[in-house]
Amino acid sequence: MHLLRQTWLLTRNDLRQELRQLELVVTAGFFTLVVLIMFALAFSTLDDEVQPRAVPGMIWLCLAFVGALTLTRVFDREREASTFAALLAAPVDRLAIYLSKLLVTLGVLLICAALLIPGLALIFPAAGITRAPMLALGVLTLLGCLGYAAVGTLFAAGLATSSGKNVLLSVVLYPLTTPVLLFALVATARLLEGHAETWSALAQFAALDAILLGVAAWLFESVLVGVGQAPAPHPTARSTAERTSR
Amino acid sequence: MKYVPYVLLAIAALLFPYAVSQVFLHTPIEAEMGTAQKIFYFHVPLAWTTMVFGVVCGIAAGIQLRIRSERAEAIAVAAGEMVVLCGAGVLITGPIWGDATWGTPWTGDARQTSTALLWLVFVAYLLVRRYGPANSDRLAAALAIFGAVDVPIIYYAVKIWKTIHPQTTVVGSLPGSMWATLWLCVAAILPTCIALVWIRADQERSAMALDRAWIERDAAAATA
Repeated sequence: MHLLRQTWLLTRNDLRQELRQLELVVTAGFFTLVVLIMFALAFSTLDDEVQPRAVPGMIWLCLAFVGALTLTRVFDREREASTFAALLAAPVDRLAIYLSKLLVTLGVLLICAALLIPGLALIFPAAGITRAPMLALGVLTLLGCLGYAAVGTLFAAGLATSSGKNVLLSVVLYPLTTPVLLFALVATARLLEGHAETWSALAQFAALDAILLGVAAWLFESVLVGVGQAPAPHPTARSTAERTSR
Repeated sequence: MKYVPYVLLAIAALLFPYAVSQVFLHTPIEAEMGTAQKIFYFHVPLAWTTMVFGVVCGIAAGIQLRIRSERAEAIAVAAGEMVVLCGAGVLITGPIWGDATWGTPWTGDARQTSTALLWLVFVAYLLVRRYGPANSDRLAAALAIFGAVDVPIIYYAVKIWKTIHPQTTVVGSLPGSMWATLWLCVAAILPTCIALVWIRADQERSAMALDRAWIERDAAAATA
């Protein structure tokens, strides 16, 4: 209960900030629209039989890009206001920090998915998005975004330093989130094809999310150690300085 | 213990020419795949070595995070570099073999994709260690653990999609002479890699000791 309460308080704090500025939602939402328009321009001539195979890729590629953008901003905001070190020093369970950032990222991703999926359904009507069962599509989107945010939040927190190293996030994020994206891709394709085993695929997806969430929660505290420190001097720079001093 | 890697390298140096002669001169040519199958004797040991050192890196990274062991950290770094090196070998030899046997170098099958992603995760591990922030050692360790967890999941995810890679049963049904040559190649490649990881881990530990000495010297100068 204590953890849930702390998570809720931290999430509420982030949501309140977001409601005042709408920075994450507006930038991520606008980015989603831009990608949607680019998909429309690039793939509007796709044949009807190709659309069901192409649209799952479009959905998860766009959400992967939006996720990287959101994760960077979620922690950048703390860094810019110099509140991350204070948050780490506060008597709060580290897991609550992780879960709160995860929930904020998940919220933004779901809002973007709510723009993206109907948009793709309009642009590519032959893909069969409108014919897919809405509940299964909603659960699939939730599981995909949750798995992506679970891995991403861990590494975004680890790279949330003042040295501008968060550019490495994309390098780390895409190889590690591939299992989630692959599962989501396969499950979406099956859903659009009207495959009978959709719910068993979703159950497997939920198990995958549970594993990723568990490993990320276990590693979160270890990764956070040293986040508030000043960047270490580069080894090459150090040896050059040593030679100069001699 | 100091001379162990050099002894391993000497053994590998003796075994390597013998293994190559066995592969090309004394092992029969496989009926279905022809001479292209000869690459199997290098591709499979490299793939096994990649997997072994991927697991070693993940375990060493876990120990590094748990007990802050410098030795474990050095082993993790050295093993991570070996995964990238051997993984590159697998990713080069695999498509060559695939092109000759399947008619296409890349099919996106389960093992190809999981090996490519394992390689990408360990390249990211080295990038984070080299260019990461102050806490990059811990972040990279988490990355290595996540990579080790991810690989079987990726393998399963792609497997339910499609696979045409030779199954374990195909490799298991090889004639005895081919198996003997394969083990000979493993005996030549694995000690080489163990020796290189050993030497690289020693180097890494020396670098850490030098870093520590530098920090202590700076601290002493500041106090004086």
